[in-house]
Amino acid sequence: MEIRIRGVSKYYYSEGKTIKALDDVNLTIPSNKIFTLLGPSGSGKTTLLRCIVGLETPDAGEICIGDDVVWSKDKNISVPPEKRGLGMVFQTYAIWPHMNVFDNVAYPLQVRNMPKDEIRQRVAETLRFVQMEGFERRPATKLSGGQQQRVALARALVAEPRVILFDEPLSNLDAKLREETRKELRAFLGKLQITAVYVTHDRVEALALSDSIAVMRAGQIVEIGTPQKIYFDADHRFVADFIGRANLVKATVIAEKGGCTVVDCGLGRIVCQHRDIPVGSEATLCIRPEFIRIVSGAAPAAGNLAACNSVEGRIESLVFVGEVYEVEIGVGDEHLLARIDPDAKLKEGDSVSFTLDPAHCLLVAI
Amino acid sequence: MNSSRTKLTWLLIAIVGALTVCPVVMLVLGSFSEGLTAFGHFTVDKYVAAYTDPGFYEVMVNTGIFVLASSLLSTLLAIFLAYLNTRTDIPFKFLFKIISIIPMMIPHLLFAVSWALLLNPSNGLINLGLKEAFGLDSAPLNIYSMWGMILVEGLLDLPIAYLIIAPAMASFDVALEESSRVCGAGTWRTLLRITLPVLRPAILAAFILGVVRSLASFAVPSVIGMPGRVHVLATYLYEMIATGFATDYGKAAAVGMSVLVASVTLIVVYRALTAESEKFVTISSRGFRPSVIELGTARMPLFGLVGLLSLVLIVLPVAVLMYTSLVPYSMVPSAKAFSMMSLKHWSDVLNDPISLLSLKNSLFLAVVGATLGVILSVFVAYVIVKVKTRAAGILESLSYLSFSFPGIVIGVGFMWFFVQTPLYATIWALLLGYIATYLPYGIRPMSSAFIQIHSHLEESSLVCGASPLTTMRRIIVPLLIPGIVSGWILMASMFVRELTLSVVLSRPGTEVLAVQILRFSEDGLWGKLSALGIVMILISTTLVVMATLVGNRFKAVQG
Repeated sequence: MEIRIRGVSKYYYSEGKTIKALDDVNLTIPSNKIFTLLGPSGSGKTTLLRCIVGLETPDAGEICIGDDVVWSKDKNISVPPEKRGLGMVFQTYAIWPHMNVFDNVAYPLQVRNMPKDEIRQRVAETLRFVQMEGFERRPATKLSGGQQQRVALARALVAEPRVILFDEPLSNLDAKLREETRKELRAFLGKLQITAVYVTHDRVEALALSDSIAVMRAGQIVEIGTPQKIYFDADHRFVADFIGRANLVKATVIAEKGGCTVVDCGLGRIVCQHRDIPVGSEATLCIRPEFIRIVSGAAPAAGNLAACNSVEGRIESLVFVGEVYEVEIGVGDEHLLARIDPDAKLKEGDSVSFTLDPAHCLLVAI
Repeated sequence: MNSSRTKLTWLLIAIVGALTVCPVVMLVLGSFSEGLTAFGHFTVDKYVAAYTDPGFYEVMVNTGIFVLASSLLSTLLAIFLAYLNTRTDIPFKFLFKIISIIPMMIPHLLFAVSWALLLNPSNGLINLGLKEAFGLDSAPLNIYSMWGMILVEGLLDLPIAYLIIAPAMASFDVALEESSRVCGAGTWRTLLRITLPVLRPAILAAFILGVVRSLASFAVPSVIGMPGRVHVLATYLYEMIATGFATDYGKAAAVGMSVLVASVTLIVVYRALTAESEKFVTISSRGFRPSVIELGTARMPLFGLVGLLSLVLIVLPVAVLMYTSLVPYSMVPSAKAFSMMSLKHWSDVLNDPISLLSLKNSLFLAVVGATLGVILSVFVAYVIVKVKTRAAGILESLSYLSFSFPGIVIGVGFMWFFVQTPLYATIWALLLGYIATYLPYGIRPMSSAFIQIHSHLEESSLVCGASPLTTMRRIIVPLLIPGIVSGWILMASMFVRELTLSVVLSRPGTEVLAVQILRFSEDGLWGKLSALGIVMILISTTLVVMATLVGNRFKAVQG
């Protein structure tokens, strides 16, 4: 089921100031995909989710789920949350403490007045799906965090909703459990043909789970793309910086050459992935630490020079963090962070040369 | 949605404001008036008369001694018991839990009466026993004195002081003590230099609450102080309005003003201290179990002391009342006494029209008052917890104001109010007064019930497809019920035994249990008093036991 959001705005008023929680958001969430809203706290991602589900009322715009308009300012349509037929997993899970697991999961079917036998059968099926068979009689208060998460998922799925929404569902779990649950969730959702909207501020979670990511900032959607596109090929500096660690260097475009864009910057002349930026204009060069390759021994052959972007620098600090060394390399006034093999025999003050693959030299808007 | 919430908030502010501020305003106005019937002619005569009365200063001195000494006694005993329970290997620790709950079961009035039955100079059981045993001519002990009042009031305030000090001591970070020991200080020096100073906010809070409670206390001063002509402010006020022919509500209001001001000030200090004490606790608690101090040879004697205290606090009052209700007149327990036992006092009481009326009135007030009080509390708690506006803050402060009201003083304020209305001398006057004074006791369990209901629980029901009405029926109400039930029982058990407000507001036809018991005590009808008292304890205990059971289920739900 596709979700279309047109010109949705939401304002909060506090101490005489207007805060734009959502600022004219336009977005189409494709059907049967896992779509993630990613952004720092206060970027409006949870507000957008709550507008879709109907727990918040926008101040302007229109929201359609499939062919139904569920909210429209102009047409004066407002479908209450209980009539939207969605499923949602809350950040706190919101497992009702006065009911057992069965009643929690059966609730959406009970309020739809389904026959008892069918309810029992569907609850059993759903619990089997989330691997919680045999927990029917367990009181809700006797569940661990991971079990609560599964019960919440079962409750959201049991009525076979058109869309399932997740509001930071893993943030209450400890680090190890979070990783396991993330993999499980991906597996569960992969088996279902369902549109999933997932809100998180955790970039690893977003990258690992999603088919598609929308990065939000200050109530607006900055960029939408696949995890690979967002990570390797972002158009915006904010997105490149937010999605992972990045070295950001000011640069000036000087030429277009052989399907590459060439810039001048603090590292010298660098050949980058192609971008449609006019020659002479300013841009930001973005290099991920894992793509800085230290070259040992002789400098590479002169013929390869343009393709390899060879740069000379000096090691300023060296920190052992387990699987790699995190190295700060000084090049002129620029400082670059690099991750290199732990068995590299380097020490502070050494001169090094490194290469940058043009495919991983990303130019983003300032 | 928002506008209806705002309307609800202001409506509640109006109701709660009327209930709590009205008696205070009437007290102030009354203190400047010439008399109950001459309301509106303002004068300062009453203040001049009240504060230049030579007898007043003796009362002030008595009050000071009584209040400070009994609070000191209860605080010291509470520190001692809390330390033994949380920090030592003393056996049978469940006794401490019992000591902290019993005052809920045995009304203060009956506790005071049972001590009078034991230690009064003319026929107190212990005095009679001592006289027989040693062939004395006169009674060796006299409870009708300042020391008697201090002892009984101190014991009565002990549980509340314990409930404040024990949790603070339990969450005390033991590393603070250990580092003192490592620095070379012994157990005693560590206790005096580290433990007690760190616990100072909690100890001070317990002391101040003791002061407020003993200042408002009427049961002990009237049962034990008045026969010995030891007057404190509460009984001084009572004599002004309830005995003799020249009742003077204006002068009573003028005196009451200073009690009220002192009480409100102390409660403000108390709330500041408990906030500070919680800060202390949160900073220092890191989940360590405090190390247990081995008492060694002192273990059994100290336990004996605790056992004696619980005997004195729990068993003795009930046993004495039971015994007195069965024997024809005061006599030392003996074969003869047991052979003369009969149910005469019981049948007298159960055939006494006024006693039956008071029983009926008290039950009515408990059931209707608690029901109305809880309904009001549900709305107030909802606004305090779920509506976080400035108006909601005002409502919170208003609703906790009555926590500091000394019953007899606020009763005088209500008197000034009700005399102007047709409610005067009706049971509804008592009902309104009870709800106003005990509202905080209803609001507290309700607020914790509301805090438990995270908004996600409500929202997820809506998302699941339930209508707001279904959500209310299946999610919100079931989650609130334990709070509603325990709030109702708490209020009802307080209303059954209410004395201080009732002695002012109760009139012929609107007698309540506690007032009737006080009358019996004033007339020396100990047998009837005991029978009626046991009835009161039974009702009260049943309610408290129900409250505990519901509370336990509530905890189970919270997990």
